Amino acid sequence: MMETVAASRCPDCGWVVAPPARICPRHPVEMTPVELSGYGSVVSYTTLTVAPAGFKPPLHIAVVELPGGARIFCHGRETRQLRIGRRVAVEQIDGIFYFASLGVADRVSLFWKRRGAAPDRTRDAVKSAIKRFFDVYKRPSSESTPPTGDSARANEEEKNQRPAEKR
Amino acid sequence: MRNVWIAAAAMTRFGRRSETLDDLMADAALEVLSEADCQPDALVVTSMAPEELVGEGNLASHIGTYLGLSRTPGLRVETATSSGAAALYAAFALIASGLHNRVLVVGGEKMTHVSTPRVSEIISRVIDPHERSYGATMPALAALVTRAALAKGLFTEADMARVSVKNHANGARNPYAHFQQAVTLDEVMTSRMIADPLRLQHCCPISDGAAAVLLTSDPTGLKLAAIGQGSDYLAVRYRSSLATFRATQDAAKAAFNMAGFGPERVQVAEIHDAFAPFEILALEDTGLFPPGKATRAMQNGELALEGRLPVNPSGGLNSRGHALAATGLAQVVELAWQLTGRAVGRQVKATVGLAHSIGGMATNNWVTLLEQVA
Repeated sequence: MMETVAASRCPDCGWVVAPPARICPRHPVEMTPVELSGYGSVVSYTTLTVAPAGFKPPLHIAVVELPGGARIFCHGRETRQLRIGRRVAVEQIDGIFYFASLGVADRVSLFWKRRGAAPDRTRDAVKSAIKRFFDVYKRPSSESTPPTGDSARANEEEKNQRPAEKR
Repeated sequence: MRNVWIAAAAMTRFGRRSETLDDLMADAALEVLSEADCQPDALVVTSMAPEELVGEGNLASHIGTYLGLSRTPGLRVETATSSGAAALYAAFALIASGLHNRVLVVGGEKMTHVSTPRVSEIISRVIDPHERSYGATMPALAALVTRAALAKGLFTEADMARVSVKNHANGARNPYAHFQQAVTLDEVMTSRMIADPLRLQHCCPISDGAAAVLLTSDPTGLKLAAIGQGSDYLAVRYRSSLATFRATQDAAKAAFNMAGFGPERVQVAEIHDAFAPFEILALEDTGLFPPGKATRAMQNGELALEGRLPVNPSGGLNSRGHALAATGLAQVVELAWQLTGRAVGRQVKATVGLAHSIGGMATNNWVTLLEQVA
C-alpha cells in the first residue's frame, strides 16, 4: 500500500511533471503517464493566515519535489517542523496531496479543517489512519530512490541565466 | 525600425477612488491629449479584469467611444498584472513598424468597490489551476519564493522590511501615491502576518487608478529606447529555481540588447515590488546589481532618492499602489516625469530610467528603458 503519485514523462527530454500534463511544458510533445513514489524533499513552504474562499486559515502549503524532479503542491498539518530540503511522505486523499509523516491525532485534526460534509471528513481521516498504519510497516523498503536536490539543480541552471552585464 | 518617442504622460492618483473605471481612464487620457495637443491615430487600452471587476467587455471600443475616439482603431492588450507594460509594447510596435504615427496608450483598474476576498479570487485566476486548487494566492506563491530566497541567503527579513521603509518614505513625497505616509522598520517587521514570511507591510495595496502615455514617431527628446519581454511557466512548480525570475532576466537581456547599452547607464528605476522582497530579486535579475550586491547597496542608502541609483522614487507598488493594468504605465509615467524634471517633491537627477513589470507570478515580465536625449 505504498503511496504513489500519478505523473507524466516527456518522451523527448525525460522531464517528469505532476499531476500529469498532456503536453510537455518545455516543448509541444505529448507526455506518457508514469507513477512516482510518494516521498520527496521540501522545496519551500508557507502558512497562510489569510486563506482564500473555501479554505480555513491557518492554511499550510508546501512544494515537495518527488523522485525524478516532479514537484507538487501539498497541504499539511503544520509547517513549524518543516525545513527546506527535509524529506517528507506525500499521500493523496480524494485527489488532494498531503505532506509529512503524521500521527493519527494530527490527521483527524487535519481532515476536520477541510471543507465538505462531516461524514466525508470522518471517512477521510479513517482512510488516512489506515494508510499510516501500512506506511509504518512498509517504509524501510520504500526509501530507495532519493529525489534530485533542489539546490544542486537550481545552481546548475542559474550559472547560465544571470545577466552578463554587471554594474 | 523607427525610433519611438514619448509625447506626453499622465496618471491619476492611485488609491481608493470613487470615480468609475471609464472616468479614471478618461482623466489620464485627456490630460495626455491636452499636454501633447494632438489626436492619436491609434488607441491601445488595457485593464486586467474589467469583465469581473466592473462588468465591462469589448474594452477597446468601450473606452474608445467614452474618450470620443470611436473612429480611431483600437485594441486591448492583457498580460495579467504587467498589462500596462504590454500595452506600451503594442503601441511601441505600431509606431516602430510604421503602421501608425501617434498612439494613445491608456490603462486602468477599478477594484476597491469589490470586497477584498472577491478581488483576491479574481486576481488568483492568473495562477496555475493545480496550484490554485491548494489555496495558492499571489501572496502564497510570493511567500514560497521569498522562503526559498531567504534559505539561499539572498537577503534577510530586515532587508525585506528596508524595501518597504524606503518605498513608503518615497511615497510620502508623491501626491499620486496610495499611501503617503512613512513607516518604520519596526512597524513593517511587526505588521500582521499574511503568508509566512510575508507580512502586511511587505504587500502592495489593492488600488484604483489609471495612467496614459502618448507615443509618437516625431522626436520629442524623451525616447522610449527599448522594451523587452520575458516569459516563464505558468506553474511555479515547473521552475528549477524559485528564488530567481527567469522572465525578468530574459526581459532585461532583450531590453538592453534593443537599447544598445547596458545596465550601467541606468540612473533611476521603477521596480515591480508587489511584495517587498521582489525588489531585491529584480535588482539582481535585471543586472542593475551583480548577484548578492543589491541588499548592501540598499543598506548603504544607494537606492534612496538621494542615492547613486534611486529605486522606486514613486513609492513603488508597495506605497504608490498597484492598480493592476495601470501599474506598468504608471511606472513609465513616473520615469517620464523624473527624466523631464517634473517629479515635484521627489525629483532625482537622471537621463536614463528603467521600468520593470511582473505579470502573474513572474510568468510574463517586461523591462522598459527610457532615455532623455535632448
